[in-house]
Amino acid sequence: MELKELLFETGTVPDHRTGQRSSRLFHHRYVILGFRLLLAGVFIYAALQKIDKPRLFADEIRMYGVLSENALLYLMAIILPWMELFCGISLLTGFFLRGSAAVLLVFNAVFIVVIAIRTVGIMSSEGIAFRDVYFDCGCGFGITYAWKKLIEDSILLVCSLAILTAPVYRFVLPPGK
Amino acid sequence: MCLRGELISISFRFILSVMNRMKHIIFQVVAITLISSIVALVFNAFSPNGINPLRKANAVAVREDPGPGESGMIRVITLSEFLVLQESGAVIIDARTAAQFRKGHIPGAILLDYYQMGYYMDHILPYLSPDEPAVLYCAGPLCDDSELLAQELYNMGYMKMLVFKGGMEEWEKSGLPLETGDNDPAE
Repeated sequence: MELKELLFETGTVPDHRTGQRSSRLFHHRYVILGFRLLLAGVFIYAALQKIDKPRLFADEIRMYGVLSENALLYLMAIILPWMELFCGISLLTGFFLRGSAAVLLVFNAVFIVVIAIRTVGIMSSEGIAFRDVYFDCGCGFGITYAWKKLIEDSILLVCSLAILTAPVYRFVLPPGK
Repeated sequence: MCLRGELISISFRFILSVMNRMKHIIFQVVAITLISSIVALVFNAFSPNGINPLRKANAVAVREDPGPGESGMIRVITLSEFLVLQESGAVIIDARTAAQFRKGHIPGAILLDYYQMGYYMDHILPYLSPDEPAVLYCAGPLCDDSELLAQELYNMGYMKMLVFKGGMEEWEKSGLPLETGDNDPAE
């Protein structure tokens, strides 16, 4: 595989006659472009909110109780926002596009799991209903309701999956064939 | 035994074929992780807000009710103890943000936003002495920024740190006077 192909993988033109109707709509070039812009906007904004605040971000990660205070927690607080920024820029330009979609798919899946675990923890410790649970998720968007964040992250997960599985990419740099 | 070997062989071939189809994705994911990590660590090393990932965090305990003779820790103090220390001229440090500080703070307090430590430290150092107590506070009993900041300062050699855990919440509830505006040492 050539280096250029590895960096700017644009896929092959799909045979629309054989594809499922839902899949064709899901992978339509404008739908994929919309998903890319949405994900890029969300993750670039979120990254910029955290990129120079590793202490704050480490505290927010610590609140999930998944990682104790150690080097891994601090490395995560330092590196994660840069990965989000990198992926956001990749989605805009098309550089490392499929890899960025894969990274964001994993990120969103992990976010959903840890937010769900923390939500259940708050519900049992505070004795409050699911719809009333709200906290700062550490996502860069401040305090929000857990249910709202879970829906948002699920939408972003679907967008990442659509981009990752798209057979062909348009609107990329350099332009695909 | 033969069937088991066959199953292992099939599984191995399946994993290899998946890996082969995914190799460009794996390459890109590894590249994204490596490039981001290098850029992040270099940025962190030069940023005034950077943190040392290998530091021994929370090595110093913060205790509300230390036993007799207990030392080598940060003590939590009550409002009445805080008032006595304030009267005696102890350094009072507000660990909240500059915006919260401007809205209202405990009279005489100086700002040291925990999350912007690098920005404030040079201006704060003249106020601190390893032999003199300094009291730190933040928004209220639920925030832990004052404790985290006290631990950072303790590790830097300022071992007489005290934490007023009630913070602004208890201060305001008690109807004590507030000071507003800038007392920002970095400006």
